[in-house]
Parts: sequence; C-alpha cells; structure tokens
Amino acid sequence: MSETPLIRLDDVSKVYHLESGDFTALDHVSLDIMENEFVAIMGPSGSGKSTIMNQLGILDVPTTGKLLIDGRDVARLSSLERTHMRRDIIGYIFQKFYLIPLLTAYENVEYPLILKYKHRDTSGRATAMLEAVGLDKAMSAHRPNQLSGGQQQRVAIARALVNDPKILLCDEPTGNLDSKTGLQIMQILVDLHKKGKTVIIVTHDPRIGEYAHRIIKLADGRVVES
Amino acid sequence: MMDIFFDLSARSVRLNFLRSLLASIGIVIGVVAISSMGMLGTNMQLSVSSQLSSGVNTVILTSDVVKLSSTSPNSTANNGIDESTLNEIKSAAGQNQVITIHHTSDQFTVGTTNGRGSIYGLDPNDINKFLNVSEGKNLQGGNDALVGATIASNFNIVPGSSIKIGQNCATIVRPVVRVTGILAARGFTSDNVNTDNAIVVSDDWYTDHFDDKNVYDQVNVILQDINTINQTEAFINAKVNRNSDVVRVSDASSRLTTITSTLGTITTFIMAIGGISLVVAAVSIFNVMMMSVKERVQEIGILLSIGTEKGEVRRMFLYEALILGLIGAGVGGLMSFIIGYTVVNAMIGSTAYFFLPASLIFIPYGMIIGVVVCVGSGMYPAWMASNMDPIDALRSE
Repeated sequence: MSETPLIRLDDVSKVYHLESGDFTALDHVSLDIMENEFVAIMGPSGSGKSTIMNQLGILDVPTTGKLLIDGRDVARLSSLERTHMRRDIIGYIFQKFYLIPLLTAYENVEYPLILKYKHRDTSGRATAMLEAVGLDKAMSAHRPNQLSGGQQQRVAIARALVNDPKILLCDEPTGNLDSKTGLQIMQILVDLHKKGKTVIIVTHDPRIGEYAHRIIKLADGRVVES
Repeated sequence: MMDIFFDLSARSVRLNFLRSLLASIGIVIGVVAISSMGMLGTNMQLSVSSQLSSGVNTVILTSDVVKLSSTSPNSTANNGIDESTLNEIKSAAGQNQVITIHHTSDQFTVGTTNGRGSIYGLDPNDINKFLNVSEGKNLQGGNDALVGATIASNFNIVPGSSIKIGQNCATIVRPVVRVTGILAARGFTSDNVNTDNAIVVSDDWYTDHFDDKNVYDQVNVILQDINTINQTEAFINAKVNRNSDVVRVSDASSRLTTITSTLGTITTFIMAIGGISLVVAAVSIFNVMMMSVKERVQEIGILLSIGTEKGEVRRMFLYEALILGLIGAGVGGLMSFIIGYTVVNAMIGSTAYFFLPASLIFIPYGMIIGVVVCVGSGMYPAWMASNMDPIDALRSE
C-alpha cells in the first residue's frame, strides 16, 4: 500500500447559495482514504453523504479547502481534465443504475472504452467484464429495460470497471435491489476490493456498512467518526 | 465502424420516429420550395434568352421626342420617327437592312367575336426579312393582312377569314381586312415586334386608316454582321442624335441582358419567399431538438458523469439535427426533381432546359441549405445539453 493517500480532503467545505440563504452541506471536512481501502460513508439524510460523493466523483468542486485525488488538486483542473479523471480513475455505481437506455447491456459496458480509446472495443474487454459480473452473452444484447434490477446493477458494475479505475464509488448500490440480489452485488464488490480496488460505499444501511473495513460517519456536514 | 454518438442519435430519431418525421417534413417543404422556384426561374431565363436571341442582331430605334400636332396643340401627343430622320438612319446604317414599323393597339371583330390586339403596319417587301408565314401566303397590299399565331388560334382564323378593325359601333362602318396568311409563333422577341397577338397589314393600309403617314413608331436595323452592333449604334447616334436626342437607340442584346437580369432578380425573390418555409422548418427542428434535450436530461447526466466530454454530448445532438436534415433534404431533393419538372412543364410549357446543370444545380443547393438550416437549429439545444450540470441532470426524473 502506498504512503500517499489516494484521496485527501483537506478542510473541505461545500456551501450552496440558495434563495433562503447559504446552506453548508460539508463543513470543514478533512480525511484521507488510502489505496485499496474499503470505506463506507454513513449518516442520516442531509448529513452530506451525497455531497461528499459528488466531490469524490469529481462531479463538483469544494467551495473552500483542498480536494486531492490521485495527487491532483481537483479545483485546479480544467473542466475537460476533470471529465478525463472521471473517465479514467473513477468507476461510479449508482443506486438507480443509470444505464444509457438507448444502448444494449454490452454497449453500455463498451461505452467508457469508446470514450477513452475513441474507437469500438475489439479487445473483448467489455464481454469479459460482463462475464466477470455473471451476465451471459444472451443478456448482453438486451436493453436496460429488458433486464431485472440485479442484472442492471451488474451491467453498471461492469461499466464502472471496464476502464480499470483506481476508485470504485458506490452510491447505495443495493438500495433498489432485493436482499438476495443485494448480497450478490456486495460479494462482487468485496471480490473487487480483494483484487486491489479502492471501494467507497455511501449507505445508510448498517448491514452494508459491515462489509467495509472503515466507516466514516457524517452528521450535519461534519465527520463525526472515522 | 459507426461513431457511437451518431448511433445514439440515430436510435433517438428512430425512437421518436413520428416527431422526427414531422420535423423533417418542414425541411422537405423548404427544400422543395427553394429548389423548385430556383429551377423554374432558371428555366424561364433560359427559355426567354433562347427566344430573344433569335433577333439579337437587331438595333431598335424609337422616337425620343414628343411632337405635338401643329393643327391641334391640345390633341394627343404624337411621337415618332419622321422621314428626314429615317433617311439619316438609312445613311448611318449603310448596307444593313432598315425596316420601318407602324404600330398601334385597337379592337377588332372576327365574325361576331370582339377582341383587342396589336396592329402592325409593315412594307410587304420587309415582312419575309424577319417574319415567317406558317400557313397561307404573305400579304400583297390592299386590304390583305397576316395574323399572329395566338390570335389565329383564339379566334379560329384561317386564310380567307375577314376581320373588322376598330371599335364595334353600329353607326360607323369599319374597315375590313382579309387574312392571307398565319404567322409562325415568335414568342416574346428581342426585336420588339411581337406578332403572336397582332394583325399585320401593309404600311399603306395602316397609314390610310390610322393617319400616321411618314411617321414611324419604330425603325429596326437588321445587321449583316452582329459584331458591328456597337459600331452601327455609334454611327446612328453620331448622325441622328448629333445635336439632341432624337431617337432612342437600343439593341436586342442589351434588352436581353436587362430582361434576364430582371428575371434573375425575380427568381432570387421567389426563392427567398420559398426560404420562409425553411425558417418555419428551422423553428420546428429547434422545437424537436429542445424536446429531445428535455426528455433526455437524465441520460445527459449519466453521459457527463461517466466521463463523456461536453464536445461529445454536443456532437450527439448535432448528429440528431444532421440526421433530420439529411432525411428532409434527401426526400426534398427527390421531390424537388419531380415537382420542379411538373411546375416547369406546366408554367413554361417546355422542359427543354430542365436537365441542364444550370437548372438541376438548384436541387443540391436546396438540399445543402436544408441541412445547414437543420444543423443550425440544433446548435443551441446541443450547446444547452453539453453545458448541463451533471448532478442536476442526474437528479431529474
């Protein structure tokens, strides 16, 4: 494991300027996440879980403080550089799966490869990823609306992994699944962690938190336990 | 292999087939309007040019002064070219043929049917120098007359028919001419002698009945060599208009240029009117593209959150506009060919010039304009899509 943290939040605050006044979603948060950690970020609604996930997913930048991911200060990057970091370093798994409805399961997994290499996948990597998450070839030709929730989440995991990202961000990955399928998905995430991935899960479910080696608890935008 | 963004756009168009089809119909109409009007105008120009070029070796002289009658100063103005001026013209024209022309417009009656047309008074010896008798024979003098093809057709006139000239009035005995021949159709000619809707009589008969003795409405100089046109015009001007402008000198080629230029302007104007339909189509495409963006906000959020560049999102929506434009332009181009052919045939009566490049070029012109308008209409929606905040876009339902 490297000495340098893969993710460092240094006194990060995020303030939203609303008509009703300023709302501080993250309040001077500082924490490090090392490579190959399995971290669960937990907390009640409004605690800042989604805000911190948006920061870690480079979908947003801090209002104040410094966010370093893979050694790079996110706030100093251009919009295009942040896009490329999302594409190359981060794999995002959402509660609602968020597959592209116009593409088949295979094409959804192939899509990040096309973004990175600017051509269709000829290496067989997309197919291999689908097989790795337990989806057979027949399923890969189906559109998302023809798949079950569990199958869609497997496709989403395959899509998140296909560019071999360092960080796997999972936003309530089992929230829309039955308990049996949820366990299967969690087992896939545990296996990925064992293979060296840094896995960060946002959840309010303590049973999911038990899979993590480290739990960061948030309340009112502050870290209350790490 | 097909670009995935083009593929996504094509699938979106297929998914919203009816909406896309309706938007494309606007482009089809616009392309057809522009192309068909362009082709019609060009065919008209080419057709008129062809007709006028038959008399292009003619210098036309008309009076440039108005002479008031000496006996009745308050009578109607009498303008024309008198004998002395004619002699100067003949002198300046040299070996070229000089044709004197009397011309007015009057009513006439064939049987019991009244009509109105031009009356030309010409020297019978000059007639076969520039007019063709298609049926019957040339007039010899006296009360002989030739009639133009349109009048002959409209009034069922044949050689031997009689025509009463002048306003139909019970108290006046009107002069009668007897038709000896029918003139071949000339169309709109550049020598300013338009006989299709005219009755041609001898100059003697004309001056006896219209009191225009020794004053000519027009004198045409038919050149032996068209290359001497500028030189001849200069001679005539130097001789006849040396002190003041007595005659107005024009030649068929300059008239031809003026007419084709005017037709060109009219064509551009009509095409611009056709272009209005493309503006309407542009609004329709813009609306469809905005709807497409609004319906796909979450999808745009997904694309942006997993690393799609703004330019790639923009490209995806521009492809969609391009597909609509290509469909509209393709169908519009095909329909322009069919409708253009029909319109040209119906309005000009000939498709002799339809297949010339100068005419058909308006189809690709219309298609290109249609595609450009379509892509232009998609630019703002595409820009809007690419600049969405991925967090807000993902939250939308």
